Amino acid sequence: MSENKITSDLLRGHTDTMILRLLSEADRYGYEIVKRIAERSDGEYELKEATMYSSVRRLEADGDIEWYWGDESQGGRRKYFRITEKGRATYASNKNNWEYAKRVLDILL
Amino acid sequence: MHDKLTNYLNDLFAPYDGIKSVTELKADLLSDLQERFRELKAEGKDDDTAFEMTLDSIGDIEQTVQEVANLSHSLERQVLINFSASNLKESDFAGVSAHKGKFKASALRGANFAGADLTSSSFEASDVREANFDRANLTDCSFSTSDLTDASFRKSVFVRTNVSMSSLKGAMFIDVKLTDAKLTMTDLRKTTFENCIFHGVDFKYSDLRGMCLDGQTFIGVKFDKSALNDVSFRGATLRNVSFLSGFTWSKKYYRAIKTICFDGAMLDKLTFASLKGIGCDLSNVTVI
Repeated sequence: MSENKITSDLLRGHTDTMILRLLSEADRYGYEIVKRIAERSDGEYELKEATMYSSVRRLEADGDIEWYWGDESQGGRRKYFRITEKGRATYASNKNNWEYAKRVLDILL
Repeated sequence: MHDKLTNYLNDLFAPYDGIKSVTELKADLLSDLQERFRELKAEGKDDDTAFEMTLDSIGDIEQTVQEVANLSHSLERQVLINFSASNLKESDFAGVSAHKGKFKASALRGANFAGADLTSSSFEASDVREANFDRANLTDCSFSTSDLTDASFRKSVFVRTNVSMSSLKGAMFIDVKLTDAKLTMTDLRKTTFENCIFHGVDFKYSDLRGMCLDGQTFIGVKFDKSALNDVSFRGATLRNVSFLSGFTWSKKYYRAIKTICFDGAMLDKLTFASLKGIGCDLSNVTVI
């Protein structure tokens, strides 16, 4: 992990959207989500387990994702998360909002 | 090291013990942490460093647990709504947590309560025929005057559960430990008990004629004034078990007691002496 970990509220505010993005590619389990985020950001953003599960519960309650038991050949059973149609729509809309905000901020800052 | 992780999480989650969704979160988190720990070790980190880094990846879990717990409390409250006098035939309640649930006078025929936590729930005067209570927690539940025909109680938790004055024809109790349960004034002639442990169970006034209770354990159990003709306790263990007939020893009761089979049973001295005194055939028992 890099020394200058950015754990600002700005990034954390987009946790839901990051998870939706990952799940729009494939179904994944908890640790996989945290790991991919660390890998993709080259260690710049480390999503904590607590933040991830809190986000996952929220997405689940909103009907953006759902879970099922995977059938692991070895070790305990894992909970896999899957994006719903509603979740894909939420992702698209969040992504649009971000593109818009980015454009405006680029002008203003 | 996995034990160390488990212990750490047990301490962390201790205040929320018993809340199902929190227990699930704990299990999910544990498997994540174990995987992370394994990976760190595979990268060549020593145990202590890997453990520290693993714990560091948890973040502020207290808040998440609190959120999950609050969410589940409100769900449990929803389950707590009154089901009295409702028609819930073949309903699925598997795995629910419904403390103090009220199911009085309900139609629950064939309902599925497998693995449910029904502590302190009331099923009085309900139709619970063919219902499935396998592995359900029935601590302090009341089933009095209920129809439990063909209900299944495999491995359920039966602490202070009250099943008096109910119909238990065809009901199955398999691998159940019954503690201080009340099975009084109940017809048990067609009920099956297999591999059960009866601790402080009260069978007062119940009809046990012809029952097979072989190989099971009875501690502090009361069979006072029960109908016991032809009951079989072959190979059973009886400690401190009471067979009082009430005010007087009627000839009828004497005759009934003598038809009980204790072959191969193990009796403590007190139970042995009292049965001997009323003329039971104890030729093939072991005194323990």
